[in-house]
Amino acid sequence: MHFPPAVLLVVPLTFLLAALLPDRVFGSMPERRWTASLVTTGPALLLALVAAGAVAAGGAGVASVPIGGALGSFALGVRLDALTAVMLPLVTGIGAVILRFSRRYLDGEPGQSRYVRWFLATMACVSLLVVTNDLLVVALAWTASSLTLHQLLVFYGDRAPALIAAHKKFLLSRVADVAIFAAVALAWRTTGTQRIDALLAEAATAHAFPRALHAAGLLLALGAIIRSAQLPFHGWLMQVMEAPTPVSALLHAGIVNIAGFVLIRLAPLMGRLEGAQMLLVMVGTATAVLAALVMTTRVSIKVSLAWSTCAQMGFMLLECGLGAYGLALLHLVAHSLYKAHAFLSSGRAVAQQQFRRMAPPPPVTTGRHWALAAAVAAAILFSSSILLGLHTDEAGTRVAAFILALALAPLLVRGWARGAAAALRSTALAAALVVSYAAGHAVFAAIAPSVRAAPAAEAFRLGFVTLVFLALYAVQATIAVRPTGRFARALYPAFFAGLYLDELCTRLTFRLWPPRALPVQRMSATPPASPLRELAA
Amino acid sequence: MTASTFPLSAAPAMQDEAAAEMRDSPDVAAAIARACDRVAPSWPLDRLIAVNPFWGFVDLPIERAAAQLAALSGATLLMPRAWYREQWDAGRFAVRHVIDAIALTGSARRADDVLAALASDERPAASWSLVTDAADIGRDVGHAMEWGDYVTRHVSQTCAACFDEGQARWTPARAAGLYPLWRTLAVHDGGPRLLMGLRGFREAAAELPEDPRALIADALAALSVPRDAWEDYLTALLLSVNGWASACAFRRWEARLAGNDDDQLVHLLAVRLAWELVLLRLGDPATMPAAWRAIREGWVSATTAAERTRRDDWLLQRALEIAYQEGVARALTVTTAEHCAPTLAPTAHAVFCIDVRSEPFRRAVEHVAPRVHTLGFAGFFGLPVAYQPLAGPARAQLPGLLSPSFIVEDRGTGRARAAAGTARALARAEAWKNLASTAASTFSFVESAGLAWAAALVRDGLGLGARARDPLRTPAAAHPALRPELSRRANGNALELGERVALAAGVLRAMSLSGDFAPVLALIGHGASTENNPLAAGLHCGACGGQTGEVNARALAALLGEPAVRAGLAIEGIELGGTHVVGGLHDTTTDEVTLFDLDRVPPSHAAHVAALGRELAAAGTVARRERAAALGIQGASDAALARAVRERSRDWSEVRPEWGLANNAAFVIAPRERSRHVNLGGRAFLHEYRWEQDAGFRVLELILTAPMVVTHWINLQYYASVVDANRYGSGNKVLHNVVGGRLGVMEGAGGDLRIGLARQSVHDGRRWMHEPLRLSVFVEAPADAIDEIVARHAAVRDIVRHEWLFLHRIDSSSGAVWRRGSEQWSSLDGE
Repeated sequence: MHFPPAVLLVVPLTFLLAALLPDRVFGSMPERRWTASLVTTGPALLLALVAAGAVAAGGAGVASVPIGGALGSFALGVRLDALTAVMLPLVTGIGAVILRFSRRYLDGEPGQSRYVRWFLATMACVSLLVVTNDLLVVALAWTASSLTLHQLLVFYGDRAPALIAAHKKFLLSRVADVAIFAAVALAWRTTGTQRIDALLAEAATAHAFPRALHAAGLLLALGAIIRSAQLPFHGWLMQVMEAPTPVSALLHAGIVNIAGFVLIRLAPLMGRLEGAQMLLVMVGTATAVLAALVMTTRVSIKVSLAWSTCAQMGFMLLECGLGAYGLALLHLVAHSLYKAHAFLSSGRAVAQQQFRRMAPPPPVTTGRHWALAAAVAAAILFSSSILLGLHTDEAGTRVAAFILALALAPLLVRGWARGAAAALRSTALAAALVVSYAAGHAVFAAIAPSVRAAPAAEAFRLGFVTLVFLALYAVQATIAVRPTGRFARALYPAFFAGLYLDELCTRLTFRLWPPRALPVQRMSATPPASPLRELAA
Repeated sequence: MTASTFPLSAAPAMQDEAAAEMRDSPDVAAAIARACDRVAPSWPLDRLIAVNPFWGFVDLPIERAAAQLAALSGATLLMPRAWYREQWDAGRFAVRHVIDAIALTGSARRADDVLAALASDERPAASWSLVTDAADIGRDVGHAMEWGDYVTRHVSQTCAACFDEGQARWTPARAAGLYPLWRTLAVHDGGPRLLMGLRGFREAAAELPEDPRALIADALAALSVPRDAWEDYLTALLLSVNGWASACAFRRWEARLAGNDDDQLVHLLAVRLAWELVLLRLGDPATMPAAWRAIREGWVSATTAAERTRRDDWLLQRALEIAYQEGVARALTVTTAEHCAPTLAPTAHAVFCIDVRSEPFRRAVEHVAPRVHTLGFAGFFGLPVAYQPLAGPARAQLPGLLSPSFIVEDRGTGRARAAAGTARALARAEAWKNLASTAASTFSFVESAGLAWAAALVRDGLGLGARARDPLRTPAAAHPALRPELSRRANGNALELGERVALAAGVLRAMSLSGDFAPVLALIGHGASTENNPLAAGLHCGACGGQTGEVNARALAALLGEPAVRAGLAIEGIELGGTHVVGGLHDTTTDEVTLFDLDRVPPSHAAHVAALGRELAAAGTVARRERAAALGIQGASDAALARAVRERSRDWSEVRPEWGLANNAAFVIAPRERSRHVNLGGRAFLHEYRWEQDAGFRVLELILTAPMVVTHWINLQYYASVVDANRYGSGNKVLHNVVGGRLGVMEGAGGDLRIGLARQSVHDGRRWMHEPLRLSVFVEAPADAIDEIVARHAAVRDIVRHEWLFLHRIDSSSGAVWRRGSEQWSSLDGE
């Protein structure tokens, strides 16, 4: 089946045109803008699915679409490949679900038209970013998506906490912009092209890269780290809960994943830039482990989900850094779906918790339980992974298998501590998860193949990640066994405080771009005349 | 200690001496107790029942309480002047109502002055400043976070960590309570220095006493708070974190109901006061002493000033309420012409909850089936029970004023299998939850199972899911073969036959239903079906503790069906022989009624019950038509309307599934004949009551002390959520963020815990759907009996005398309505 890649441009164009429709088109029926906007997501999703089908049938390709304008002509590259085929339906599908959710959810709120238009504009940016074959367009669309999202984050412009979080994100994103555009410029100058297919082709044949390209890789990695809210650039991600729930869903399931997508898109090149890979592994691992622990101390559903996103992005970047791009893509897609649903359904927290309260208290576990479980889980995983073809000598896959074993260990511990029937059920669940994991890995590894690093570098990263995750397992086990022991008590204050990584950033944001002249959001409509005002004057 | 002595200048030794003296002072303890008593409890989300948030202030006349609240926290109990202007322009009240208001309140104002005030807006009144305000002096608050905001956030996060029930997986050592936890965290906390630039916080925190009451005593001394301002100052501090204070007050309320006590409210007070003390000690010695002294001096006149600024608004508010009362009184009087029992014997008695949502539905039932007689009674049907589900703890199914005496549990064939199934479902949920939220497993969880959420997104996004899967709330749906039945006393003892009979007889008498039974007696509780709604319990039956009424209705139906109980009732003169009792549930979102346990209906009554089912379904259609306009779905056919409300009840993005008890304004305690032909517009609670049958007015006493207080709580909750939405409403639903599993919601990422109703529950985006009027109660009973009961119960006396509600009496013979003033009754002519 032949599917002309250029047709993909219809998707961002549709969203853009829908966003540009002026209010007067809908006259006195603003409700119709919702209908019109929801209708546009239909063909966009359909087109994305057809394109995906075409790729499955072997119809990948690249096209160049000449665009003439007053400033001269430019050929826009479009890329239809397996990655596009996965990402475009994901982006349009999740976008459609969130937009549909927003309609009733925002009923009665002022500024709905503004909301829909910026939402669609964001969709246009992200879908363009997914289909383009130009690195420059990637960078531009990435920046544009950040700017359109900003408008959604300040949807409640009278909420000081919303403004300060949005400003913080805005400032950090501009720093990331500098890094990303510098990376694009360096890559372009060094290789003479900014076409992604040309860049990747060159990467595949070159034996070594010039230093400038390594620098570009580092800059891009830095941009990716800031954009995906890695420590210590993470604060805004937790604070943008001041925007409506569907905006959080869009951000956590969509926008924050762009960095991962760009790294996967450039995998054949990025995978060979040692410095960048090392940076991603270091920052990603640290963020994954620390943010996951902070997450377990959070007291509200949405903030807990946000810390989870921060950790998950770290994990995705660490997989990219290890060259395990298939796993990174699996992570990106699975996390998007999971997190979009988690945010939209966050109102169920009460009913879910009420249900769980009916469960008997968790069994008491000891240190020996945890150690034994880790050993047995590793053994089970080792044997089953050989059967399932998970067992390779790739660093990324090995790490993933090891972490999977650590993940399943507590499940088995608790099951075994409850008796034979529970032990059987938890073992069956663990086995099912291993199978599901192996299947997902197999599918996504075919879409985004791994890139191997030099053996020494690979061994170092493997060792680093393994040790850090072992430490995480040990910390978690210690806290579980002695929740109020000295160790837990000593660590808790720092993790509860988010490791103090965001305080200075907040303070700086207040200095550079305060919410407004007077940031106070007065509780009452009539601000009390306080004697302080006179004193202060 | 005088106000001019500043602690920083005092020698440390002197401070210690004064502090030691203060720590043992009974006056300090009394001030703490009184400040804590000012805080009304707020129930957690899974049992969200309405409370008058000013319950701690009802010992004061409402106007005085409002002034005090305004002074201490900036709260308001009135709408803005502009709103009264709109009501005046819309003709909602007239000059005569203003004149009445002036006469009734004994005000010295003239009607002309009050009406002239309508032309201008009210002047803002000053409220108390605290040390957190003083600490902002000299800081560039245009470019830094304000101390008040920071402290609120800090206190709020610590409270959440301390009281969390199921959100955090890693909780701190918190057995010692809130204040020790806060102190431990503060000693390590680098946040104040990094974010606020405050040096020495950790050291200052380490010097604070370890006991919360000692801290309070020390701080009052060190802050040089004048003795006569202790109570108000402590109250102002609690009001500055009113959400968490209310949550702590709930802990105390519940502990006291069970005969224990809980001190976390005092801990919270200590935490907030510790911030005051630390900020004072670390403040700039050049400016802080003077600023703090000026602030204390400013406190003196605040209450009086606040009272003066809203004087006219209280008269306008009262005029509006008089106008409403006039209309209701006229309608209730007019019906005396039809005040006669219907000539045909009833085919069924249907008992509904007193909830205002029952009023339009009952009218609809009577419209489609005139031979079905409806009654109003508190929706827990007089059963003070807790329900024991198949697993886990029992949950209260009764009003928040009471403590459970009996346990209801599921019985029937297949119970063991159902229990095992529930246990398996729980284990599965637990395993998933552990995988998703444990630090080391959350990554692999996403990679191995995350793709499955694509299906969940499609299912929920298109509303394809079946009705919310909630095995806990809907016993009938989860286990059709089981039936909730009264099983034992709450203390574990058996429930003897004599007690069962006494319970059954008491309930029937309280319903004024002890003879002339119809073939069917339907007990119809209510509940709302909504999805993805953290405030769902607020739409359920408040009398059932924020649960649906299903358990109570079915358990009472089962009790009244027991042959032994029937025999016992017959001995007491209550002859139920020819009657089948059936339990049911009115879904207030969809206006569908489910009748339960139909497999137990004897053949002799099958036709009657089936007919009632059809009539209730027809009534639902009528009721939906009446509700359609408010839901914004008018003009649809009956079938489309039924579909629309059903979709609403399942839609995970729906923020206004129904209007709950919005616009409630009246409580009629009278036989149904009194109100049967009146359309009360879904604004009235209706309680069946026949004083002629009430020996010794025991039932009346029960109604005035329990249902009347509960309706007053509901009324004031709606009232407060409208007049001061930021303090007493929970804010915007689209920003809601569930805290601690069920403790409450925050708006956005931080700030205080929010209590009360969401904006979406009282506002449709264009206008308020609840008109804030204090409750007008109309009782058909002799004046002496009412007076005697009011005089005997302090709480009832307070809310009546201090105008937190208005009490009226309907004269049975003439139908005339009398209004109860502060001491005596006066005629309410209507014109």
